Parts: sequence; C-alpha cells; structure tokens
Amino acid sequence: MLRSFIVGLAAFALAGIFDSAAHAQTIKIAILGPMAFVQGENHWAGAEMARDEINKAGGVNVGGKPRQIELIRADTNEIQSVPDATNAVERVITRDRADFLIGGFRSEAVLAMQEVAMDHKKIFLGAGAAHSKLGQNVEDNYSRYKYWFRYTPTKDVDLARTLFAVMNSIAQQIRTELKTDTPKVALLAEKAVWTQALVGAAQKNLPAMKMEVVGLWQPSATATDVTAELSAIDRAGAHIVFTMLSGPVGIVVGRQMGERNMKAVAWGINVEGQKEEFWQAAAGKAQFVSTLDTYAEVEMTPRTVPFVRAFKERYKKMPTYTAATYDAIHMLKAVIEKENTLDAEKLVAAIEKIEHVGTGSIVTFDKRHDLVWAVGKTAGIAVQWQDGQKVPFWPPTVKGMKPFKLPAR
Amino acid sequence: MYWLRRAWAELRNEVFVLPSRTLAALWVAAVLLLPLVYGDAYVLRILTMTCIFAIFAASWDLLAGYTGQVNFGHALFFGAGAYTSALMSLKLGLSPWATVWAGAAVALFLGFVVGYLCLRLRGSYLSLATLAFPLIALGMLFAFPDFSGGELGISGLRRLVVTPMANYYVASLSMLVIVFGLWALADSKFGIVLHAIRDDEVAARASGINTMRYKLVVFAIAGAAAGFAGALFAHYLRVAGPSTLELALSFQVVIWGIFGGVATIYGPVAAVFILYPLTEWLGSFRAFGELRLLIFAIIVLLVLLFMPRGLTPWVRDKVETQCPRCKQRNSFFRKLCRLCSAALKAEVSGAQRLVGHQ
Amino acid sequence: MYALLAIGFSLIFGVARIVNIAHTAFYMLAAYCFYTLLVKTGLGFVLSGLIAVGAVTLFSVLCYRLVIEPVREHEAAVLIATIALALVFQELMLFTFGGHFLGIPSTLEGAVRVLGVSIPYQRLLILVVAGIMLAAVWFVLYRTRLGLAIRATANDLEVANLMGMNVHRVAMATVALSVSLAAVAGVVVAPVFVVDPFMWLAPLVTMLAIVVLGGLGSLKGSLIGALIIGYVEAITVFAVPAGAYLKGAVALIIMVAVLLARPEGLFGVAFEEER
Repeated sequence: MLRSFIVGLAAFALAGIFDSAAHAQTIKIAILGPMAFVQGENHWAGAEMARDEINKAGGVNVGGKPRQIELIRADTNEIQSVPDATNAVERVITRDRADFLIGGFRSEAVLAMQEVAMDHKKIFLGAGAAHSKLGQNVEDNYSRYKYWFRYTPTKDVDLARTLFAVMNSIAQQIRTELKTDTPKVALLAEKAVWTQALVGAAQKNLPAMKMEVVGLWQPSATATDVTAELSAIDRAGAHIVFTMLSGPVGIVVGRQMGERNMKAVAWGINVEGQKEEFWQAAAGKAQFVSTLDTYAEVEMTPRTVPFVRAFKERYKKMPTYTAATYDAIHMLKAVIEKENTLDAEKLVAAIEKIEHVGTGSIVTFDKRHDLVWAVGKTAGIAVQWQDGQKVPFWPPTVKGMKPFKLPAR
Repeated sequence: MYWLRRAWAELRNEVFVLPSRTLAALWVAAVLLLPLVYGDAYVLRILTMTCIFAIFAASWDLLAGYTGQVNFGHALFFGAGAYTSALMSLKLGLSPWATVWAGAAVALFLGFVVGYLCLRLRGSYLSLATLAFPLIALGMLFAFPDFSGGELGISGLRRLVVTPMANYYVASLSMLVIVFGLWALADSKFGIVLHAIRDDEVAARASGINTMRYKLVVFAIAGAAAGFAGALFAHYLRVAGPSTLELALSFQVVIWGIFGGVATIYGPVAAVFILYPLTEWLGSFRAFGELRLLIFAIIVLLVLLFMPRGLTPWVRDKVETQCPRCKQRNSFFRKLCRLCSAALKAEVSGAQRLVGHQ
Repeated sequence: MYALLAIGFSLIFGVARIVNIAHTAFYMLAAYCFYTLLVKTGLGFVLSGLIAVGAVTLFSVLCYRLVIEPVREHEAAVLIATIALALVFQELMLFTFGGHFLGIPSTLEGAVRVLGVSIPYQRLLILVVAGIMLAAVWFVLYRTRLGLAIRATANDLEVANLMGMNVHRVAMATVALSVSLAAVAGVVVAPVFVVDPFMWLAPLVTMLAIVVLGGLGSLKGSLIGALIIGYVEAITVFAVPAGAYLKGAVALIIMVAVLLARPEGLFGVAFEEER
C-alpha cells in the first residue's frame, strides 16, 4: 500500500518534469487568479479563448519564428490566503519559467504579488484589482514598478467619473419623465474603505449636478436584511438609489427593493448585479436594478460582439470584467510582434505607447500605467435588469443600446 | 584542535546516541546549508515562509502545550506584530531592524493583557474567549481605516534585506534561535513548573508556586515570539493586511501544533516543515492544485486517526524506548539501556500494560 | 436562528465534551443540500427541506463514527479533527458549486405590517420554526427516556456509564440531535441569506460567543445568550458609526466582560477540576 503510494508520487513528479520539458519553444503566460471563484474562472476562460484563437492562427511571430502560447494556470487562493498568492507568483516565475503574468483580484494580495513580480522584472498585467495604490507605485518608483500595467478595471477614482456620467443621464430622464427639477438621490453604500471616497464625491458632486442627496445608508457588505434602510429611503422620497455594493448584500438590496415595489430606481456599482446568476439569486425580484458593467452584446468596439457571442457559446454564460485576460493576451501578441522580442524592457516601452482595441475597451496607458479614462473607450457600460435580462443602456453613442426604464408610478 | 575534538566527542556521546537527536542535528544542518546547495528562489521563498510560521507554531506550543491554555486566537499576536512593525516603519520612518523588536514588544504587552484577562478561565472557556481577541482587533482595524488601511492593509514596507538568500537566512536564523530558546526554556525548571500547572493547577499552587505569575509570563513570551514572527512576515511580504488576524490563521496554528504533537516545541516546528511545503507542493499540480486544502485536511484527518497524540511523539515512540529503570531514552535497536544497562524489552505483563496505558 | 445553532453546539459539548468547530459547517451543508434539491431537482419546499435535514443528520452520524470516535480519548485531536472536517466540507462545496453566491427563492411571499414595520412572511416562518424546534428539543430532553439519558451523561459521564447506560450510543444520539438542529437552521435561513462555501465562518463566531456567554452545556443559557447577542449586534449597527464592522467586536467584548465577572458564563455549571 505504502509502496504503491510512493511509486505513484514519483510517477507524478516525473510526469511533471517531462511535461514542462516538452514545450520549449513556447511563450509562457501565467494566469493568476482565485480559480475556485467567479473572478478566477473568468480570468482563465478569457485566457483560454485567446490562446486557442492565437495558436490556431499560427501562434505569435517572434523574429520570423512562430511560437505557440502556453498558459500556466496558477491558483493564487488569494481570497483565503495572501502568502499562497505570493508563493504562486514565485512558483510560476522561477519554476514554470513564465514570461508574462496576467491576473490578480484582491487588492491586498495583488500588492504583495506585485512586489514578487517586480523583483523578477516580469511584466505583470493586472486584471481585477482596482486600488489606486498599485498605479501610485509605478509613479513613485518607476524603475522598479514599470513592469506593472493595469489592464482592467479603471482605477477607483475613474470609476467614480463613470458613475456620475451615467447618473447625469438617468437624472435627465427623470427630470423629463417626472417633471421634477432636482431628483432626489439616496446613497446606499456598504461599509468598506472603497466606498468612502465615492460617498464623499457623491455628496460633493451631486448638488452641483442639480440633484439632492437625501441621506446616506450603510449596511454591511454581508447584511442579509436591508428592510430598515429601504423603508427609510422610501420615506425620504428618493428617485434614485445610488448603490455602492460589492458583497452579497447587493443581491439582498435588489431582491428587497423588488419585494417592496420601490418607486426609486437603483444605479451604481453592484458587483453581484453584474453576474449572470443575479436574477435567479435575487429570486426574480430585481427588476430595474442597474449597475456598471464591462461586457454586453453591443458594439463597444468592433470586437465586442463576436467575443461575447463566442464566450457565451463556449462557457454558457456572460463574461465578467476579469475575462479581459483575453484582451491582455492579444495586446501582448501585438506588442511582441511589433517589437519582435520578448525582452521586458522593450515591451514596457511599447505597451506605454500602444492604443489597443480590445473587446470591452480601447486601451491606452498613462504614466501610472493605469488606463486613460474616456467615455466609449475605457469607461465601461451601464446595464439594467429588465424582466430577467441584463440590458445595456449607456453610453448612448454606442450601437445596440436600449432605453433605460423607470419603475411605474 | 582540542575544542574540535571535544565538540566531536560531545556530538557522538550526546547527539548520535539517540535517533531523535540525530534527526534534529541533521535538520539544523539542512536548514543552514540548503541555500548553498540549492538556491532556487521559489524553494527559498517557501522555506522562508516555513521558518516564519515555525516560530509562530512553536510559540503557540509553549502556551498551549506546556501550560494547557489552548489559545484559539494566537493570530492576535502575529497580527499585532505585523501591524506594529509596519506602522512604525512606515509612519515614523524607522529602520525595520528596529521596528521588528517593537512589534515583538507590543505583542508581548498584548500577551500580558490577554493573559491577565483570561487568568480565571480554563479549558474550553479559555479557548473560546481567546478566539474573540483577534476578531475584536479585526473589527477595530476595519472601523478606523485611515489608520490601519482597512481591508487593504499597510503596503509598501521596506525589506529587512534584499536578496532571497539573505531573507532566508534572516528567517531561518531567527527561527533556530527562537525555537531552541523556547526549547531550552521549556526543558528548564521553568518548563517543569509549566507542566505542573497544566496537569494540576491547584496542586501546583498548593506547593507554593505562583501560578498566576507563571501563566502571565508564558502568555507574554509566547506573544512576543509570535509577534516577532508576524513582524518578519510583514517585512518579507511587504504587506501587513487583515489576513494576519483572520480566524483561518488561528486555526492553522492549532492544526500545526496538534498535528506535530503538543508540549514538545519541536513537534509543531516539524509539522510546519512538513505541512507547509506539502500544501504548496500539492498546489503546484495543475490537475488538482485547487484541491490542496481538501487534500491537506484529509491528510490531517488520516494522520490523526493513526497517531492521535500527534506526529512526533508517535515517531519518537517508534525509534526510541524508555528504560524502565532509569527513565533514560534509548534508540530502538538497543537491547540494554545505555546508562544503567537494564534490559529494555522487559516482559510486560498484561496488567502492567494496562496500568502503563492509563 | 442563532439560538438553534448555539443550543446544538452546547448539547454536543455538554454531553460528549466535543468542541465541534464543524457544527456550523453542517449548517452550511444543509443549506447546500436544500438548494440542490429545491432548485436543481425541483422538489417541493417541505420535501426537500425534510430530505436535507435527514441526509445531513445521517451524514453527521457517519462522520462521528469514522472520524471523531476513534480519537475520542484525545481532546486535542478531536478539536482539530472537527476543524479539518469543516475545511473538508468547505473545500468540497467550493469545488462542486464554486465560490458563487447562490440564492434560494422565498418559501413564502409577501410581508405583514406590524406596528408600521413590515416583516416578510419568510422571517415569521423562521421565527415559528425556531420556536417549534426549541419546544421539541425541550420535550426530548425533559420528557423522554433518551432525554433523561442525555442529561445524565452530561452531568457525569462516568457515573452514567456505571449505571449501565450505553454512553457511546447516547453521545451519538446527541450528535444526531444537535446536527439536525443545525441542519434545520440551515434550511430555514437559506432563502433569506445567500448560500456560499464560507457561510459557516460568520455564524461560528457568533455561535461561540453565545454559547460561552450563556454557559457551556446550558440550554437556557444558550437561548438567553442568543437574545443578548442578537440585540447587541442590532443596536451597535444602528447606534454607532462604523457599527457594521464593530458589531462582531462589541458582541465579543460583551462575552469577554461576562467571562471576567463569571468565568463559567451566565448559566453554566462550573466544572470541577478534572483530574
């Protein structure tokens, strides 16, 4: 028994060695993410699609020789353990000899992962963490952190700009439909660090945008009952509920707003609301809940619709924003072929200058290696749940957008 | 030359006579020499983490194993060390070499506080009450994000040293010093008193031992060692985040401690050195890397079913026997005791075996 | 709801001296089981609820036989065995269902207005089920022979053994009883909460706080502890800024404070030094 076990282990180890020796002439890209979670699943799915497409078309052309892309799936387990995440990064770099790193989600872990990648001077394209500190590092110590680029999402400050732009267009609609001059907005933010800046900005900007802030309510990110908050919002006569929710409370808000037949409409960030399962999770009650999102079957860029359709075909669900690993790999291919090298220094310079047309955004980088924010390019889209469907409604300039609906009065 | 010969004699007579001591000596040599032979950055990183967690586990064992105060909230000290050191080096601009000690000092102080609060509790009440402290601290951190960085933690810390090799030696040397320090402490008279407190506190007090003072001191020492580990951890990863205070870490150290065998110091250390690289190694398989925690838990369960007292006591019983007459330990291949030459494998009658089992 | 969990935990500890960290993991299992039966196979609420509770209870007895009983003698080993069990469950669920939040449709729709506050029927249902379960537990413990045996074992294991009781069987019955309480809790709250693989951690801490506050092994204590902790959490959330973070901390501070004044909890029995 014991002996067969040891033999089995040895066989495993050997298989591992041969496995890595077999593909010498490939470009190795490590996909780092919490693989048991939605974010990691999308990291991996997007990357897989890019790999299959590129390899089918003959691979990446480096110095006249076509090279295949090899993906390394690395479970960072970052939601549960930060050391695990750094170990995973170290492993893919020194063990698996990865050439590029893509991924990351939890900001605390990504900060630590960034350090390891920078130690090894490896290009690390972030695809998930929004905290501005990551880009701040690049500005403060360029020579060390220049290998870091944030491919998605836009940094937290820019996220706010998108939110207010959409808010403005919703407010316009309310003004015309309900004939009020100053729509009333209730702020509903979960108790977390990331919402504080947003709340402050909302309290400052909304009056300037001719809207009235009627109050601030802060449930916890994992609250299971927001009845008290919602009835207070009802009493305040709010027209819009500005949500800033990343946790499961987003489901509860959507559901209980529906159960109470609220007259107000929800707009903001509702991470749960971006997911395909949201309608079912909210027990079909989340009518008219709207949120910031990345992908829909609309022509953000010429590539959006084919990508979203192919993704849905293959994985039977909509991509979420961490599936931008797909675009990141395509961008890498573009710069590698342009510069004709895998040398990190030259590629960094090339990425800084690139304007890459991805599937969810048109990407350029600023001096912090963050995305340059622009409506219709990197600002993302806004969607609203209508009768079980996620319907995109903003930015209005993009082809395929549908009208935003208000609850019946 | 004389000293060399003396050292050799010492080694031969004191270390090599017992398999467990030989193992310990080999282990020390391996820890010290490994990077010279095999300087792979990934391996060094894993081992650096292993060393840091080994300090942590050993400190838990001093508290839980020797005085029987099974602390479910040991992450408090780890997190306190990490945060203190991080804050001081970042906000006050002090060198991390100084702030690591400050982290340990704050953890020592917290050890006193927690120990004082829990003096009257015992058994499961103590375990469950201590569980509360890191969670209270976590709540505080989240409530004052300007100071603590909230859920993001404090990042951008300076390193103690730069290269992976140097980092490894910082961690491994401090690990060796602390672990052997704790071991010596536990083996001294002080340790015997602790044993007495665990086995029967009332009797210990009746024999004129100030049990309160001993318990407090142990809490403080264990806290300081754990805080030191936490500070090393923070400066190594360059991030001190809320994950250093989470329940998972508190549970992890309990698993290490009991898996290795409590009240041994070397047990938990061995457990960390086995389990931590093992989980990491399991995670490196793409096919079932995501299942590593599952496999980890199952291994722990299986090991427990076969060796409920923990790994190291079980191994030790296999390779060594205790002389029935003089209680000295002997290696398993000896027939006669090495000191008093009494027969080791004395026939044990059924009744005696029963008594010995109790 | 917390009361259900706390009482079950308290029972296991009182009778079998097992600190069962996996207790809330069973609660999670029940919620998942309920979800699968209800959403995937489309059985009715009552039927899938009953099956979920039954299956989890059986499963717990199996776990007890296979994992806990062989190491019963070693308190420390039991402790980490339960932690490891909880981890196994968590990872299994993570693997089969992924780290998504799953929602379950309400059992009952609509809400009733009481004194101007609207209360959804689902919450009333929880209240009613909790009440029924508490009554049932009380009945089992104080009006049946099994209950007598359980209480006797809780009081003094050795004497109960000497009196000719099959202590092992009593312990097993207790495990089944207490886990079924946890399972019922899991099933009734699943439609209100969201179901995910980490849902066992938060109630675990609250449950421990309640049990310690009320006194280990005391039914009445657990109930009153649950009420106190529940109110304290609600009050902190509404009265203190940044309360949502502190609600756990405040609850735990209260627990520590009570322990300082009364080391055996509010209604606990002070254990004699066990030698």
